[in-house]
Amino acid sequence: MRPKNIVLGVIGFDCHSVGNKILETFFTEAGFKVHNLGVMVSQEEFINAAIETNSKAIMVSSLYGHGEIDCAGLRERCIEKGLDDILLYVGGNLVVGKTPFAQVEEKFLKMGYDRVFGPDCSLEHVAELLHQDLLSREEKED
Amino acid sequence: MSEAAVICVDIGSTWTKGAIFRHDEDRFSLVKRASVTTTTDHLPDAFYGVLNQLEPKRDWSEEGRVPLYFSSSAKGGLRVAVVGLVPEMSLHIARLAAFSAGARVVASFPYRLTRSSVAEIERSQPDILLLCGGTDGGNERYVTENAQVIAASDFGGTIVYAGNNLATDAVADALANRKLVVCENLMPEYGKLNTEPVRNAIRTVFLDSIVTGKGLSEIVARFGVSPVPTPLAVFNLVQAMGEHLEDWQNFAVIDLGGATTDFYSFSEAWFPESDAIIKGIIEPKVKRTVEGDLGMRISAESAFISGGDYLRTALGDEGVLSLQDYVHRLLQNPAHLPTDPKEIEFDRHLAGACIHHALLRHAGTVEEVFTTKGPVLVQAGKDLRRIDKIIGTGGYLAACARNQQSVLIGDQMPEAAEKVPLVPQSFSYFADRDYLLPFIGCLAKDFPKQAALTAVDYLVQSGDQVQIPSPTLCKGGHFL
Ligand code: B12
Repeated sequence: MRPKNIVLGVIGFDCHSVGNKILETFFTEAGFKVHNLGVMVSQEEFINAAIETNSKAIMVSSLYGHGEIDCAGLRERCIEKGLDDILLYVGGNLVVGKTPFAQVEEKFLKMGYDRVFGPDCSLEHVAELLHQDLLSREEKED
Repeated sequence: MSEAAVICVDIGSTWTKGAIFRHDEDRFSLVKRASVTTTTDHLPDAFYGVLNQLEPKRDWSEEGRVPLYFSSSAKGGLRVAVVGLVPEMSLHIARLAAFSAGARVVASFPYRLTRSSVAEIERSQPDILLLCGGTDGGNERYVTENAQVIAASDFGGTIVYAGNNLATDAVADALANRKLVVCENLMPEYGKLNTEPVRNAIRTVFLDSIVTGKGLSEIVARFGVSPVPTPLAVFNLVQAMGEHLEDWQNFAVIDLGGATTDFYSFSEAWFPESDAIIKGIIEPKVKRTVEGDLGMRISAESAFISGGDYLRTALGDEGVLSLQDYVHRLLQNPAHLPTDPKEIEFDRHLAGACIHHALLRHAGTVEEVFTTKGPVLVQAGKDLRRIDKIIGTGGYLAACARNQQSVLIGDQMPEAAEKVPLVPQSFSYFADRDYLLPFIGCLAKDFPKQAALTAVDYLVQSGDQVQIPSPTLCKGGHFL
């Protein structure tokens, strides 16, 4: 089976690059074809990349505390560009300070993200969920 | 003709010109030149007309090898329509690739082809339709659907497919009854350029079918050489100069014609030391753009419209009205040459507007964005700030040099704005006074270093160093 395309990047003007490299390596080894846009990626770039590469999931990172502002509106923009069914995952240090994770999660789910992760999530678990979510999207399409 | 000589001929839309060059050790020198009116219904007539002027005593029907090179831009040149996916990505790369193959892009469309865009393609009758989109293993849907739409259209030229490799079969099936050439993806990985295979494919199509269509195969058969599209000859020369001449590492060429303004640059597109982060692709070191709405005669009216604000600043409202009048007269008679100082001045400003807009469209921009880390510079497109030499070529600019008329380049750059154009900051101007670059360009593939040296020999530096009033970032940003 062909590896599935996914787009990866750190959103906004966030330049924390260490986690991004780890995620690229990890998801490549987990059997995905990762299109890594690196750091300081705009919403527009995530979407353009997803279209050209036919990715069915976008993995957004935000580490520097401005995730809320940077991530808002991505879902709407995807729909506008015809990416109706694309999976949106977001993770990192999504907000400033010590807000309980459940609250953070709720906020990002409301924005239209499919799954939300904190900095200490298990990447094996994420990969599992991603495989499952992609499969169920495919079944829905058929 | 002595042994160590070559003949170069350029078949243009109005003039067919030729020159004999002596081939010395390390360079060429001009011996003689000639020109006749292009015979559009049968291009070889004017071609032989030029040869007869160059060497009246010779019988050209005789067998025998003649060292000869030729280029052509007659009958509309090489016309390409581009169909890509995302405008800033595959479509943008496809346009750059077509330009760098010497083509004029007559139409370009992103995403899905609509009925009206297909009608536009049929109407503009391109020689080639360049179809692309999707990284390798990426999006297949758009190229496949677009191929089906093209198959149902009246487009009769050749299709070059340079998109997602996994969609090749579907595209080939859809276009089974069409002339189709498949080459490597021009963006195999997201954001990565791979334009050489497309350029080669376009060249092959040009040689195999377009040359015959334009009635040039007779010349090919007699002399055993193939033509290059004239802009490709100049492109090859620009590349040769940059690769072989130490002093020419950052330069540009403006070819201002009656119908189009071509802009070539040789310079790195992005300098990591500039502190700017780049958005979109990193453009190629050798880049060509063509502006079909900017020209001195056939495109005078569209240049007048595009150049609106520029011309108003230069001439004032009243001046613009008189210029409009002049432009209308040019449309009646595109061969018109200015007859008095006032008309000379009109041409000068029209040229200024063409150069101004061609430069701004070729150049990238930088903008300052505020972040938690402080201000960040974001660059899109090509950074031309290091360009320190600009060459002017084409009939009009050559004549300006001969008549010692000054040329307006880089005046009136936009005031401080959100996005600052990355234009040359300070440069010397050189004129191709004898309009030899297309000839020398014909020699650039076989003799790159000699051609490069020859080009410099015939350029004349005119005027002083030109300083562009450097536009600054609106929020007091920092440049190199
Ligand atoms: C190194 C570092 C820097 C370096 C970055 C160098 C570089 N090239 O990367 C420098 C000094 C430049 C820097 C700058 C800043 N930093 Co800093 N930095 C750190 C630090 C110490 C380590 C980051 C790191 O590399 N971690 C290791 C990697 C492996 O972990 P990670 O990035 O978290 O990524 C993993 C997970 O989060 C998760 N993950 C991430 N994204 C996603 C996405 C998905 C979908 C999934 C499933 C999982 C996932 O998987 C990753 C791999 O395991 C952290 C503190 C910390 N210990 O985390 C602060 C930290 C991230 N920085 C912080 C801040 C505030 C800043 C600055 C704003 C400070 C300033 N005023 O200068 C600037 C921002 C600059 C900018 N524009 O981005 C804060 C963020 C606070 C918040 N979010 O509330 C932190 C948390 C420090 C703190 N406790 O205050 N920083």
